Amino acid sequence: MFSVLSYGRLVARAVLGGLSQTDPRAGGGSGSGGGDYGLVTAGCGFGKDFRKGLLKKGACYGDDACFVARHRSADVLGVADGVGGWRDYGVDPSQFSGTLMRTCERLVKEGRFVPSNPIGILTTSYCELLQNKVPLLGSSTACIVVLDRTSHRLHTANLGDSGFLVVRGGEVVHRSDEQQHYFNTPFQLSIAPPEAEGVVLSDSPDAADSTSFDVQLGDIILTATDGLFDNMPDYMILQELKKLKNSNYESIQQTARSIAEQAHELAYDPNYMSPFAQFACDNGLNVRGGKPDDITVLLSIVAEYTD
Amino acid sequence: MSPVFPMLTVLTMFYYMCLRRRARIATRGEIMNSHRTIESNSRASPLNAEVVQYAKEVVDFSSHYGSENSMSYTMWNLAGVPNVFPSSGDFTQTAVFRTYGTWWDQCPSASVPFKRTPPNFQSQDYVELAFEQQVYPTAVHVLETYHPGAVIRILACSANPYSPSPPAEVRWEILWSEKPTKVNASQARQFKPCIKQINFPTNLIRLEVNSSLLDYYTELDAVVLHGVKDKPLLSLKTSLIDMNDLDEDDYEEKDGCGMDNLNKKFSSIALREGPSNGYFDKLPYELIQLILNHLTLPDLCRLAQTCKLLNQHCCDPLQYIHLNLQPYWAKLNDTSLEFLQARCTLVQWLNLSWTGNRGFISVAGFSRFLKVCGSELVRLELSCSHFLNETCLEIISEMCPNLQDLNLSSCDKLPPQAFNHIAKLCGLKRLILYRTKVEQTGLLSILNFCSELQHLSLGSCVMIEDYDVIASVIGAKCKKLRTLDLWRCKNITENGIAELASGCPLLEELDLGWCPTLQSSTGCFAKLARQLPNLQKLFLTANRSVCDTDIEELACNCTRLRQLDILGTRMVSPASLRKLLESCKDLSLLDVSFCSQIDNRAVLELNVSFPKVFIKKSFTQ
Repeated sequence: MFSVLSYGRLVARAVLGGLSQTDPRAGGGSGSGGGDYGLVTAGCGFGKDFRKGLLKKGACYGDDACFVARHRSADVLGVADGVGGWRDYGVDPSQFSGTLMRTCERLVKEGRFVPSNPIGILTTSYCELLQNKVPLLGSSTACIVVLDRTSHRLHTANLGDSGFLVVRGGEVVHRSDEQQHYFNTPFQLSIAPPEAEGVVLSDSPDAADSTSFDVQLGDIILTATDGLFDNMPDYMILQELKKLKNSNYESIQQTARSIAEQAHELAYDPNYMSPFAQFACDNGLNVRGGKPDDITVLLSIVAEYTD
Repeated sequence: MSPVFPMLTVLTMFYYMCLRRRARIATRGEIMNSHRTIESNSRASPLNAEVVQYAKEVVDFSSHYGSENSMSYTMWNLAGVPNVFPSSGDFTQTAVFRTYGTWWDQCPSASVPFKRTPPNFQSQDYVELAFEQQVYPTAVHVLETYHPGAVIRILACSANPYSPSPPAEVRWEILWSEKPTKVNASQARQFKPCIKQINFPTNLIRLEVNSSLLDYYTELDAVVLHGVKDKPLLSLKTSLIDMNDLDEDDYEEKDGCGMDNLNKKFSSIALREGPSNGYFDKLPYELIQLILNHLTLPDLCRLAQTCKLLNQHCCDPLQYIHLNLQPYWAKLNDTSLEFLQARCTLVQWLNLSWTGNRGFISVAGFSRFLKVCGSELVRLELSCSHFLNETCLEIISEMCPNLQDLNLSSCDKLPPQAFNHIAKLCGLKRLILYRTKVEQTGLLSILNFCSELQHLSLGSCVMIEDYDVIASVIGAKCKKLRTLDLWRCKNITENGIAELASGCPLLEELDLGWCPTLQSSTGCFAKLARQLPNLQKLFLTANRSVCDTDIEELACNCTRLRQLDILGTRMVSPASLRKLLESCKDLSLLDVSFCSQIDNRAVLELNVSFPKVFIKKSFTQ
């Protein structure tokens, strides 16, 4: 009796399961497998002045700012590192980076962008900053990462020393290049007061490095400001990323937090040979220790897109 | 085997019930996701669910503060969900019109208003919004975030802007209308006027605004349309609204069709000599004409139907020397123009702004009208008339040789080559090309031939490549220029300004707002002040380089200054403003918004010493 019932149930399940297997998206998208891709993203950060994850308008950690935005055609995220030197002139450095990121977010949400042109997002956003009645001053680096849902390609634009890593199977398969004019002076977008124009470093958004490449399900994308990369070498980051079990938001959030916390601790360790200290030594400066800086980490996993 | 069958039956029944329940939940979930359908308890019956929508798209508007292709202070921000509400303040993510208050009516470029404008038409600007679904509207809410109170009229259109085929009949119905009233607070508010019910579904809403009572620019964040999918039963409440609405306004709307039909009937009937007209026979002709001058256009047409004598008076072309058809934009079509033709042979001022859209007026109809009525035309207002094309401008240039005043503001669908025809109008004294796509070559030929120009507006003309060249040609050719609007002229530099100032010493008004390439360090503003002593209005909005020296030069040289806007500069101090206010006794508007050295306390102190000056200080909070 039981066997008849269980057999019947099995048959019913198999039939019903088979009926739902006709995937309407069988023909969709180039690259690996059908279906749209999306990014599951979590962020964490620390401002330099021990303001742990203090969220101002939007997501600001110290002078850093970031955004995550969804659009029908793409998932976009970005980080911006406000240049702290403006503080000496009475300008709040977080205003520029924060406004830049919020403007990028708005642009994406309203669809005023082309997924394959992330530099366009930067350029339009920078022009919008100039349209603000409020006289904005300051400068920042910027890194924009765009995942095109249907083509499964990741388009990036990086201006300055923030950047991203793409990790697949425990190895770094793509990374951004740092853009520096000279030591500790990255490429930066800036708005200067009229009397200082020509004196203040101001790079055009077109100077950003742009790359495009295919991504696969399960790829991990880590976008961060130099506060992370200057304090944590790749192998430490990869070690943390190994602990990422699945593409749940909670586990991504946990990993992002642990990475940011670790970088934050290392930054204040005076004996630790950080990548920043290593680079300085290579250039003749005999220093040790971490680099206290604002840290912003955005951790994303490429997953199936669900509405 | 026997106990198996009842169990199987029970199992299948159970499974069947579960499936049905799941299906029902799924359908409900679908409805919940689309357009926030709300089961409203109050007015709609459970079968007629209320639909709440934000605007999907802004389809048309008459002006805005922001730059074309920008999302700061532009009309496109009115679509979608609110970005700022309920915060109050001057934010970039809102929709802002170009003007406010009465300042633009007081400056030298102000144009004389038309006679015979009905007192209930006071709209200055409009914006049209398209929504996703057509509904019978039950409420329209406007989220205003700064200086509310500008909206004075809300209309609904029967046409669906998303339907592929053009509609057979397009109707506009006024949902709500009121005179401009002063709103005391400048805080954000959700404006919920009581609208009347209409008998057609709509997804195209038009807001008309009048900002004349406002202290500063109004800013709108979003518009919410509440409606029902099925036609609601007319309740007692709405019929009461109908009664209140049955004034001049309502009557006027019905007249649109009636006027034409009755005129047609009347003109074909031969009237015999009737009884005497009483006292009207004793009054001299000119006196009756003078009395009729006070009637609005629809009343004039109605009066023409009363008796033969008054028909003669009302059809007299002398009554139609100034013809303002803008208030009747919702009804004016080719037929109306055709019937007015016979009376308009002597028309000198013609206002067709806002008319003719959505197929109401055709190129052929407009051309026919102008062929009959264009010869005496001196002033032609065609702002936001999107039916215009190149042929129309050609007809204008041929049929209106005496034209002195041409307004093509916001005719952004006109192709660049259409503007070449304007060069043939050599007597032009006033030309408004705000937000048009005029190109460099077209504009240069206009400037070369129209040397009588006194008023020129090139605001937001984005297709011009080099404004320095334009400025130098203006300086060379348009010696009589009195007002010039170069708002958002992106690449004008000190060279252009220098040639302009030296070539046009009669300039009384110069709008250089949002021209970022002008640098005060070149001395261009100081030179400007010295060379233009007649300046009454100078806008240097968002030019971050304006400094104390410039203000002092203005104080010395431009004592007739009435309006000055120096928004957003960090380099002007209260001391130099004080000098300016002492020297320029006529100064009535001073906009120091976002000037970091001028805080609220400084503004208060200046206000105490100079109480007649309106010092504007906007804020973002």
